[in-house]
Amino acid sequence: MKREMIRIENLKKSFGDLEVLKEVNLHVNESDVVVLIGASGSGKSTLLRCINFLEIKNGGKIVIEGEEIDPKTHNLNEVRQKVGMVFQHFNLFPHKTVLENVMEAPIMVKNEDKKEAEKNARNLLGKVGLSDKADVYPAKLSGGQKQRVAIARALAMKPDIMLFDEPTSALDPELVGEVLATMKELAQEGMTMVVVTHEMGFAKEVADEVVYMHDGQIWERGIPSELFNHPKEERTKDFLSSIL
Amino acid sequence: MFDIAHILDVLIESYPLFMKGLWITLKLTVISILIGTGIGLIFALFKISGIKVLNWIANIYIALIRGTPLIVQIFIFYFGLAELGISAFWSAAFGLAMHNGAYIAEIFRGSIQSVDKGQMEAGRSLGMPYGLTMRRIILPQAFKRALPPLGNQFIIGLKDSSLASFIALSELFSIATTQGSRTFDEMTYLIIVGLYYLVLVLLFTLLVNMLEKKLSAGE
Repeated sequence: MKREMIRIENLKKSFGDLEVLKEVNLHVNESDVVVLIGASGSGKSTLLRCINFLEIKNGGKIVIEGEEIDPKTHNLNEVRQKVGMVFQHFNLFPHKTVLENVMEAPIMVKNEDKKEAEKNARNLLGKVGLSDKADVYPAKLSGGQKQRVAIARALAMKPDIMLFDEPTSALDPELVGEVLATMKELAQEGMTMVVVTHEMGFAKEVADEVVYMHDGQIWERGIPSELFNHPKEERTKDFLSSIL
Repeated sequence: MFDIAHILDVLIESYPLFMKGLWITLKLTVISILIGTGIGLIFALFKISGIKVLNWIANIYIALIRGTPLIVQIFIFYFGLAELGISAFWSAAFGLAMHNGAYIAEIFRGSIQSVDKGQMEAGRSLGMPYGLTMRRIILPQAFKRALPPLGNQFIIGLKDSSLASFIALSELFSIATTQGSRTFDEMTYLIIVGLYYLVLVLLFTLLVNMLEKKLSAGE
């Protein structure tokens, strides 16, 4: 039995009168890759952002690595160190070089020794194939390179879980592949991942579970071959036929 | 009236006196701008804090300063602080600092809010606390964007310091008026003091431009 990394029970989130998440349940075990799919506005990004508390839930339970997290009493900064996040628009720090982007949090938050942090950062940049870009500023990078730096930056905190919020949606089509390849490699190394994406190829190939969200609820879930080839719900069929 | 040779004569002759005034003007400007920048930053952070009480304090402060003439503020500080035994120079410095601070607060607020909110989220998602993210990630970017309007405010602050002459501070402008009325040659002295301000502003503009170039290097 694999260790449980994320458990979400009856999660509710509203923005004003708008109910974005209605009683969502989700389990993610260690080394699992869970892909969230669904139309925009279905709540998948909000669900992801609730997991690292960029959005604060209105109800329900969030359990990270066996510990229920109450935003009122827990130090969320510590929780977030365990849960890395990659954003659609990269959000690299434009006033810092690639290397400084990756070193910033380990040094400032974990008080890592500067040499140690730099060694680590260079390793990670090597891993995402950007060793030669260590000293340039983000503005000089392509979208795909920026996103790979963002992945390295999140990994520098040595998280146990990685969240990806539409990591390839802002990229030119020819740059999508390099980012997906990096993510696939990460999955193969056993990283626990929750990925919001429209890349069905990636979902089919890498996901352990695909979750289809509609209208703030989890409508259907299953292993990729089942969900893609034999969806049970009409809505899922409609959604899949609309994007494939 | 515009006898250039005469103006040059007076310029050279009055140079030591004006240097004394220039020194006071510079001290007054630099001190009031430094304090004003600090005040501005604090009130800008109040305004974006999302904490109601702090919002109110900042709004009231900015409304009071923007809603009243600077000369009134300078006199209020002068008479108010004189009772505490504070000199005319320091009451003028504080008055100008409070005045500049309100405008600088709005400049900083705008530039902080212009930084993409993804930057704060990226910092927070890495486990960085709010204050640390603000200091390391948001403010350096905000400051760069604030530089052109800040430079502008500094120039206004420099010129506004001439109002300190009303509380008998012998800065540049008061030297011009006293010398002018002493010699009945007001126009010459006003032209000269105008030239002093003009040169100061031009030098300062160059400095800001250099700083802007330096800050945007590499990006």
